[in-house]
Amino acid sequence: MKLITEINQKDNSEQSIEDSELYLDKIYEPNLRKLLSKCYQCVRCSGVCQLSKVQSFVPSVIIQRILEGSEDKVISSGVLWDCLTCNSCLQNCPEDINFADIVRNAKYKMKNYYKQNPEQFVAHKGIYTTISEILSEPYIQPNKNLDWVPKECKISDKGDILYFVGCIPYFKFEFQEVDPIPISSLKIMCQIENRPIVVLKDEVCCGHDLYWGLGNFEAFIKLAKKNYDLFEKSSVSTIITSCAEGYRTFKVEYPKLFEDFDKKFEVKHIIEYVYEKLKQGKVELKAPDESDINIQFTYHDPCRLSRFLPKSNNLLEKLREIFNILEGLGYSFKEMTHNKENALCCGVSSWMNCNTRSKALRYSRLLEAKEAGTTLVTSCPKCIMHLSCLQKDYDDLSSIEIKDFSEFLVNLIHVIDSENNGEVKS
Amino acid sequence: MTKAVSQVEKEDFEPYILVFCCNWCSYAGADLAGVSRFQYPPNVRIIRVMCSGRVDPAFVLRALKNRADGVLISGCHIGDCHYISGNEYTRDRFERLYNIIIKQLGVNEKRVKLEWVSASEGKRFAKVITDFTSEIKELGPLRK
Ligand code: SF4
Ligand code: SF4
Repeated sequence: MKLITEINQKDNSEQSIEDSELYLDKIYEPNLRKLLSKCYQCVRCSGVCQLSKVQSFVPSVIIQRILEGSEDKVISSGVLWDCLTCNSCLQNCPEDINFADIVRNAKYKMKNYYKQNPEQFVAHKGIYTTISEILSEPYIQPNKNLDWVPKECKISDKGDILYFVGCIPYFKFEFQEVDPIPISSLKIMCQIENRPIVVLKDEVCCGHDLYWGLGNFEAFIKLAKKNYDLFEKSSVSTIITSCAEGYRTFKVEYPKLFEDFDKKFEVKHIIEYVYEKLKQGKVELKAPDESDINIQFTYHDPCRLSRFLPKSNNLLEKLREIFNILEGLGYSFKEMTHNKENALCCGVSSWMNCNTRSKALRYSRLLEAKEAGTTLVTSCPKCIMHLSCLQKDYDDLSSIEIKDFSEFLVNLIHVIDSENNGEVKS
Repeated sequence: MTKAVSQVEKEDFEPYILVFCCNWCSYAGADLAGVSRFQYPPNVRIIRVMCSGRVDPAFVLRALKNRADGVLISGCHIGDCHYISGNEYTRDRFERLYNIIIKQLGVNEKRVKLEWVSASEGKRFAKVITDFTSEIKELGPLRK
């Protein structure tokens, strides 16, 4: 018998290490100065930085320091862990300097070369990020519970259209608010489609939080590979998700890793999907009942959909068009003071930095929401969780009803012509 | 990746097992097992916490991530908690951890366990550890 101290740590991953280094080059840029060189210190970023409203954090000074050659000092001070990666600065930068992306690269450095431990910044003691890390391991094959799937929906593990559930089944551990999201999204989809929708039992996390939050790129790559293989195995061509972070990761990040990702798979947010079906005349929206007519709703734009997508992606315009139709039917929609690209941050990004400062940000967001309406619609499970978490602490905000887009729309949709056959369903 | 662990490997395999013991019951139980010379396998690492309620679910997950093959949480019997109701919270929290996270994660459910051991149950402590270790040995390493 071997001594317990000499446990054989089998490493079958010699080759896969090299492999992941290959991928790492595609998403990691160690030379921060190169990324910043165009900055001419106009200081606009510091003016709009959402974090600077609640703590002293001045992106332009950080940039200047790095350009002057004190990168080492900036990184070792760990100040960059605080950035919300909300991208408000990029939105206003005349030189298109992507500060959030620089923070992401710096996080990888801070973690791997400066041995800083981000644990103290991770919310919920890192349960959810640890889950993602465990899921990334090759020997783990998740076995997600599919009991939530509505009875009338047909699902399968092979087919054209996949609904990507994401991490919501795990969030149930502490957040019940997000339960209805997959249910109503799937309901919408299977009302429209006449074929079974692919929902996978062994689907893994998209890796967003490890990528933006913890700087654990290795695990992100492993997750991406796992997802890619899964999608390929189930021979899907369209991936639909109701998660803002997942959508962006598939749309922007995965194609960087796999050149053929966007050729093989078409990624759609449920907003896009509903919009297309509306345009094709496959569905229509119902006029409100007596009871609904007084509902005034507003929309919180998640940063991942508003500021993080390429300019050509007009997802939010499509959404506003859907809202226009609803308004025409008699619902009342009102924008918050800060909307679209200028939307305020929900306060926490990638499970990092949930603290009193981020609560202040969330508080001001909910105050705006309260002014604009009684129902707050959004399209990001995390925004829902973070905002409704704050509601528990403040009675004056508890009257706002926070809903996901799909949850809001599921009962307002009327299918005229379901695909592949002409029968009318309601 | 090998699916089934071969017989030889299984015999060779010495699992890493992490045990959280509460200060007032289970750790004293472990002490008693030692003082009374009841033998149990040396595969366990015991972490003493003041109450089983201190064990955050994140600790369990982090242990599994950092190559523990099994995690055992142990506290006072319900009703005996030194802090009156700490273990009731543990029980509820563990149930959720078990049903919502562990079961869906693809880690074999048997690898995570909750047991109540009182300060007088030295013999039982040894048995709980022996049984758990042999169960984990049967399952093979988590990291294949
Ligand atoms: S807004 Fe852009 S150019 Fe201006 S200081 Fe900030 S990073 Fe530099
Ligand atoms: S990403 Fe957001 S928090 Fe970070 S520097 Fe830019 S505006 Fe500030």
